[in-house]
Amino acid sequence: MLPYLKLAFRNIFRFKRRTFITFLATSVGLSLLIVTISLMNGIDKDSISNIINCQTSHIKIFAPGYYEKRDEYPLDLTIGDPSQHYSALLAIPGVQAVESRILFGATLINGADELPCLGVAVETDRDPDLFKIKESILQGSWIEANDLKILIGTDLAKDLRIGAGDTLTLRLITSTDKENFSWNAVDVEIKGVFESGDPNVDRGRIFIPMAAAREGLGLPDQASEIVVRLDTAWEKRIESLQAQIQQTVNKGSSDFEAYSWKQLASGFLAVSKMKTRNSIIIFGIMLLIAVVGIVNTMLMTVMERTREIGMLTAMGMKQREILRLFLYEGGFIGLIGSFMGCILGGLFSWYLQAKGFSITTWGETFQRMSEAIYPVKGVFYADLSFGVLLMVFLFGTAIALLASYFPARRAARMDPIRALRHL
Amino acid sequence: MPLIQFRDVSKIYHTGKVDFPALDQVSFTVEAGEFLSIAGPSGSGKTTILNIVGCLDRPTAGSFHFNDRNIAEQSSNQLADIRRHHIGFVFQTFNLIPVLSAFENVEFPLLMKGDMSPRERKRLAEEMLAEVGLAGFRNRKPAEMSGGQQQRVAIARALVKQPSLVLADEPTANLDSQTGREILELMKTMNEKTGTTFLFSTHDRMVMDRADRLILLKDGKISSDEKRR
Repeated sequence: MLPYLKLAFRNIFRFKRRTFITFLATSVGLSLLIVTISLMNGIDKDSISNIINCQTSHIKIFAPGYYEKRDEYPLDLTIGDPSQHYSALLAIPGVQAVESRILFGATLINGADELPCLGVAVETDRDPDLFKIKESILQGSWIEANDLKILIGTDLAKDLRIGAGDTLTLRLITSTDKENFSWNAVDVEIKGVFESGDPNVDRGRIFIPMAAAREGLGLPDQASEIVVRLDTAWEKRIESLQAQIQQTVNKGSSDFEAYSWKQLASGFLAVSKMKTRNSIIIFGIMLLIAVVGIVNTMLMTVMERTREIGMLTAMGMKQREILRLFLYEGGFIGLIGSFMGCILGGLFSWYLQAKGFSITTWGETFQRMSEAIYPVKGVFYADLSFGVLLMVFLFGTAIALLASYFPARRAARMDPIRALRHL
Repeated sequence: MPLIQFRDVSKIYHTGKVDFPALDQVSFTVEAGEFLSIAGPSGSGKTTILNIVGCLDRPTAGSFHFNDRNIAEQSSNQLADIRRHHIGFVFQTFNLIPVLSAFENVEFPLLMKGDMSPRERKRLAEEMLAEVGLAGFRNRKPAEMSGGQQQRVAIARALVKQPSLVLADEPTANLDSQTGREILELMKTMNEKTGTTFLFSTHDRMVMDRADRLILLKDGKISSDEKRR
């Protein structure tokens, strides 16, 4: 086996320019594959992180029927006195923090313009244990329990041309019922401006202390949802914890429903899955180009070395040994091309992991379109893993071997007499 | 026991709808240690005989025995084994492996045989390269050597595995007459030294004159078979 390996290795450098072009095609194709996978993984990771840290946390508990109508933010499907469940929930192993919130439709009026947004009433002492809004304040400070002040996202602040310390009118929609639409208005001061990194939150949400919201909405002790944060180590067991949490809150014969972030973000996850399927088609095309390159190189090699194949047969080389010799050559092309592809793709992905890939210069329309799909703002970061590099390396080598099989078989089946006469 | 036994060997090539008889009931025997030449005009059947003797082709009719083994009864793999162990080839166009050095080209048949220690293999290859007068060229690639030097390497490659038979297809055709004579002398020396049988196909008068036995072919038949020494 060893002499054939040595011969195969030397043979690949026989036609240097052609080999170089094949290496280039293979390595560029594979490096693009690595960059695409890393970038998609990074976008997915950041999107999920933003969904959990800015929107849903891990598990939400709703009153019966709320989940189906959740996009309407109904205030008549609420959980009464939610804090009575906190101690039981916190006693469940894996539960890190609990909070109740009210979600309501709202409008911000700055005198000249009015913009719709989602109002989120939070328990100011508990919310920082579940969400990262407090730590993403750029201007001003976090809201206190008794404040009649709000926090606002950077994009919303920019649209309204306001900042921390300014006052505006907040209209709280108390009923979305078409026949009984009602609202309440209150002047509030902007206590802080945050940038969470989630475009949906930065552009469309305001945060208000629970007491102020309850007063404005006329809800003495209710909440739209109880939100549960899990320890990182328990995230993988979210389904079983979800069932346990639902059971815990329903001990007093109520029928609250618990939903995981995966259910709440099912739209995003479906898009992500579809994107993976589409990407597979693109990978397929990329790989096809590399495969055609390898098949072409190997076929040309076999043609050019016809007489040599005849000579090797005359010397006593068997069909399977000639097949192996050419498969080794294809395998080496794959190994070296894949290795170069991994280095190139790894370096580029590493750069994108550190510096990110900005779409801010592509225009606001494109950025808004992207934000509608991925809850990530402006800059996409890659997530490079050794597993991806290893998978692409093995895949590239296997594909090269597969692509060499047909030319190698052709070489092995050559009639030695004709081969020796070949000019 | 003869090394080669040809009994009424015929070979017909089918080219499209036309059958071309390359050999027509050819019979001859070759004893071990002979130095013989098969000559004749183009299309007379020289190369066909070499191909059959070299176990690269089979007769259409008749029988060919090599070392008392009926070649018709051997599988492709068995024929490859016979070639690997018992037959050396020298080609008109040298056919060395371009990516290997002179030494590695000579060593290659021993690597293929795979029944030798690396030390023994290297010793034999070095010795054979010295025998053909190329000890100082061991690291040269074929492209860095003259035609005569390449043919010497090819002879060393054919002989290194100590075969019973060396087949040489027009070995001097691509060489000038002086180099051709030297190559021929080298082969004769090796024939006398090792007792290896040499069988040439040629239409070079010099090769015919140097052979101990000359078989002349015409239209696929033996027209004369003459022992000269």
